[in-house]
Amino acid sequence: MTRRRLLAGLPLIPAMTPAILAQTPAIYDLLLKNGDVLDPKNNRRGRMDIAVVGDKIVRVAPNLPAAHAKLVLEVGDYYVTPGLIDIHTHFDALGDGVNVQPDHNALTNGVTTAVTTGSKAARGSRTRLLQWGEGMPAMKEGTAEGLGPGDILTGMYGPKAPPLEALRQRGVLLDTGSFWFRVAAPAIQKGFLPDTISTDIQKDTILLPRANMMTTLSKFLNLGMTLEQLVERTTVNPAKAIKRPELGHLTEGGVADIAVIELRKGKFGFVDAGLARLAGDRKLRCVLTLRAGRVVWDAEGLSMTEWTHAGPYSNFK
Amino acid sequence: MRGLVVCCGLWAASLAAQTYDLVLAGGHVIDPANGINQVMDVAVTGNRIARVAENLPRNQAKQVVDVAGLYVTPGLIDLHAHVFGYSGSLLPDDTQLVAGTTTVVDCGGSGWRTFDDFRARIIDKSQTRVLAWLNIVGRGMLGTQVENNTEDMDPKATAEKIGKHRDLIMGIKTAHYSRPGWTALDRAVEAGRLADVPVIVDNNILTGMERTTREKLLDRLRPGDLATHSYNDRQNELLDRHSGKVQEYARQARTRGVLFDMGHGAGSFLWPVATQAMRQGFPPDTISTDLHSSSIMVGEPDMPNCISKVVNLGMTLQDAVARSTVSPAKAIKRYPELGTLGVGKTADIGVFTMRQGVFAFKDAWAKKMLGRQKLECLLTVRNGRIVFDQEGLSRPDWKTEVKR
Repeated sequence: MTRRRLLAGLPLIPAMTPAILAQTPAIYDLLLKNGDVLDPKNNRRGRMDIAVVGDKIVRVAPNLPAAHAKLVLEVGDYYVTPGLIDIHTHFDALGDGVNVQPDHNALTNGVTTAVTTGSKAARGSRTRLLQWGEGMPAMKEGTAEGLGPGDILTGMYGPKAPPLEALRQRGVLLDTGSFWFRVAAPAIQKGFLPDTISTDIQKDTILLPRANMMTTLSKFLNLGMTLEQLVERTTVNPAKAIKRPELGHLTEGGVADIAVIELRKGKFGFVDAGLARLAGDRKLRCVLTLRAGRVVWDAEGLSMTEWTHAGPYSNFK
Repeated sequence: MRGLVVCCGLWAASLAAQTYDLVLAGGHVIDPANGINQVMDVAVTGNRIARVAENLPRNQAKQVVDVAGLYVTPGLIDLHAHVFGYSGSLLPDDTQLVAGTTTVVDCGGSGWRTFDDFRARIIDKSQTRVLAWLNIVGRGMLGTQVENNTEDMDPKATAEKIGKHRDLIMGIKTAHYSRPGWTALDRAVEAGRLADVPVIVDNNILTGMERTTREKLLDRLRPGDLATHSYNDRQNELLDRHSGKVQEYARQARTRGVLFDMGHGAGSFLWPVATQAMRQGFPPDTISTDLHSSSIMVGEPDMPNCISKVVNLGMTLQDAVARSTVSPAKAIKRYPELGTLGVGKTADIGVFTMRQGVFAFKDAWAKKMLGRQKLECLLTVRNGRIVFDQEGLSRPDWKTEVKR
């Protein structure tokens, strides 16, 4: 802009100033208000607000001023966690071979980062898809042969898992993937918990046993794990396992990948990889997901206007 | 060893008395084609419906699944979805079978040149029954440039392809034509005439397009053809802009047999249009999703959700199920083979719960309406097999099961 045009614009400004001063300028793009925050990396637990600007988290604190936000989402009925990380998936954009497509299976389940075996992974999807390879640990299922400290055995509660105690002692990380209740239940009872919880989501598991993240976490919740334990094993732990310490927490300045989760109470049933049933009384459901600051999933329309208040509709944009 | 023999003997004896492979017991059956709307049992043998009756003897079934308190319907039929060709297409099994939808008709993803590829890559590899509306454009739904190319709209080649695959191709789709005039629609109708199949139309009526909705509905479409995206007023201009009344030409078109399909999608189900039209007695003839990678993340228009939306606008559940089973089956000329729980028909079945509470339903423009009832699929039977069972209704408890 030239100086002349800048000056030409000036006379308008004094007239506008009082109006501007009367309002509070919006300094947050989005504010998640009053959620029950679980952020194990930062030892945060309790009622807090989370403020987002652009793709970043800028503040996490109680009672942030709602008037400072362009969009306020009231999440008092829900838990708020870092975007979940699923380290055992079979996603690709086209759903070729064993793979399924990511966004409607991951983002709708609060999963913002997934490690996939799919090859045409990222094309056109909003989920952060990572591939195995350089800089990543090795992951194996059914055998721990060749796995060293920091490598991952998945399917730890499967029928063919090798002895686990010795592996844990030598630093191999233990991941759930596909699992059986009759193996997992006694282990969890004894306090032998997974290091990371993943889904092994693919064509063969997506319908039965319904291997999405919310169903998977609900199974472990009903097997006796606490919500805190579940969140730790799907955020900070997997981030560390895949050597991506910038993910899996709600730190100010970090990327705004966030999940908002409802805990439903009632009578539910779940199915394991051997197709046996577990009766339960609690079930988790993801109601909202932010990926890099954007609302990419909003099951209950928390960010949406009720249509009768939406102003005139026209199909002619 | 002796125990084993005795055990097997008992097993064989009980098997002899078992007439049915599967009985879904005690559910509220809604089977509009057969006038059923009450608590009944549904029995399946092999891949066929064997019986629908009250209080079937439970010892006559190899497996009994208790579905008391749930709704049981014919597998839903989504006659407008995208599973091939289009860049936003979704695999059918993890988007439709999980919603109780056992038949989907891909809406113009393939044309006569690409249908074989569609068949090899999706139709033959899916558990969902996948059928096709063939795009009048030979290369299919590949974006404006391809879809505006009238050179590639060949009625004869299209009709010939249909003739070779009548089991899979239900008719012809024309869509997204953004040049003036009627060429795309006329070629589609010409192909429809040659092959004796219906046409489904997604066609914007915009200023400068030299087309009107009145002419489309009253002069160009034939009885049995479908106008999709009913509640997107740019498509069918269903409501008069000033009075808000349903247009007389729309009622006349319905009278002459043109069908109005929902085709929810990411732009074509708007609360102001839907609310007005439903209030004035103009429901969609067929409920369909236009499910693709954008719409699934916003309006979530899977079949149970679309049904929930019209039910919350006042339609009875029975009527909504009719418009999701028997009506689409008739529209694609596959009734009574599909869309019914008639004895001897393929056992495609949906089992649903109607949740009570306060739920947000979102239209194609991400505006919400709160409703009190939400239909959710719990179990799906496709071709006699339980392919989806969210709550494990058909599975043994892990503590008591003895073998896998």
